Amino acid sequence: MNLLPWIVVAWLMLAGLYGMITSGNIVHLIGCLSTVQSATYVLLLAAGYRHGAGAPIFYTHPPGTPAVDPVVQALVLTDIVIGGAVTALLLALALQLHKRRGSLKPDELRALHR
Amino acid sequence: MSATGRLGLFAFACLLLIPIVWQLVLAMPPFGAHPLPYADLINAAAPAERHVTNMVSAVNFDYRGIDTLGEETMLVCAVTGATVLLRGQRGEQLEAHPGQVENRPIPHRSEAMLLVGRLAAPLTVLFGAYVALHGMTTPGGGFQGGVIIASGLLLLFLAEDYRGWRRLMRSWLFDGLEGLGVALYALGGLAALPLGLPFLTNILPYGQPRNVFSGGLMIIENLAVALAVCGGFVVLLIEFLEETRVMSDGEQE
Repeated sequence: MNLLPWIVVAWLMLAGLYGMITSGNIVHLIGCLSTVQSATYVLLLAAGYRHGAGAPIFYTHPPGTPAVDPVVQALVLTDIVIGGAVTALLLALALQLHKRRGSLKPDELRALHR
Repeated sequence: MSATGRLGLFAFACLLLIPIVWQLVLAMPPFGAHPLPYADLINAAAPAERHVTNMVSAVNFDYRGIDTLGEETMLVCAVTGATVLLRGQRGEQLEAHPGQVENRPIPHRSEAMLLVGRLAAPLTVLFGAYVALHGMTTPGGGFQGGVIIASGLLLLFLAEDYRGWRRLMRSWLFDGLEGLGVALYALGGLAALPLGLPFLTNILPYGQPRNVFSGGLMIIENLAVALAVCGGFVVLLIEFLEETRVMSDGEQE
């Protein structure tokens, strides 16, 4: 049980990498990149977890109640928003690639002929 | 490299890396039972020093506020890149018709969709504003609120169809909101400099704990992030939906 979160992190990362390497479509590849990124969310949140502690919000609980790490939660929060915007940028690139080359399969996309 | 070649290289790399990663997993601190000194420091200091009850917002907008400035800049860069790639190639049109794939007619807008969309969109936007406003007290803040507002505005697309939605969503407004958000964040940080204080020093009155208007400068930074995130995501939605419209002569398909 103690090792499970770290194993999940490694497994998510490997599954995403495997998908990226065997990918037959750029859009699928971008999805796999998001999977690799979600490994970092699990890693950060697991690193900030503490048994028996509540959320780091002291609205109903008085300050001083055991709480988990707010720093990693803030990191994950910004990470998710940035991840969304970067995924949009990558998808825009994929869209342009499809318009210009007519394909999204990595094997069909060779270097430009001069 | 061929597909089998790539897979072989990946298997070889896994063979080498998995023992190392396993050693790392075994060497990790015990889950849920290791000391968190930085967390304890923030959890103890923020309610007393800044009069806020949401520690995550205190980290985002005050204690590590300069990270959020960098993150805002990244958001603007990513959104600008996507916009340049899409709008730069295509141009912009408010009155165009939605495009159509061959043999796939566009279904008529159903009245149920219209009703549900028009009801759900303002409620979602209101909920987003609520989440953004209460960032200092309860779970929420500018990031979450901004994204919820943007998705509420996307619900209008389901109700109004492409043309109606595009007439409502003016890109100059959301381009402006995004830029304004980042500028407001940076200016909020710069405001302390003429007083001889470091960048992002919280110079405003902190207010009462558990009040919506607590946290001083953090309220302004929270608003700035909400504007930037909402503007950025709506700009992305506009650009991706404009890709589906009929292109006029001279525009690249």
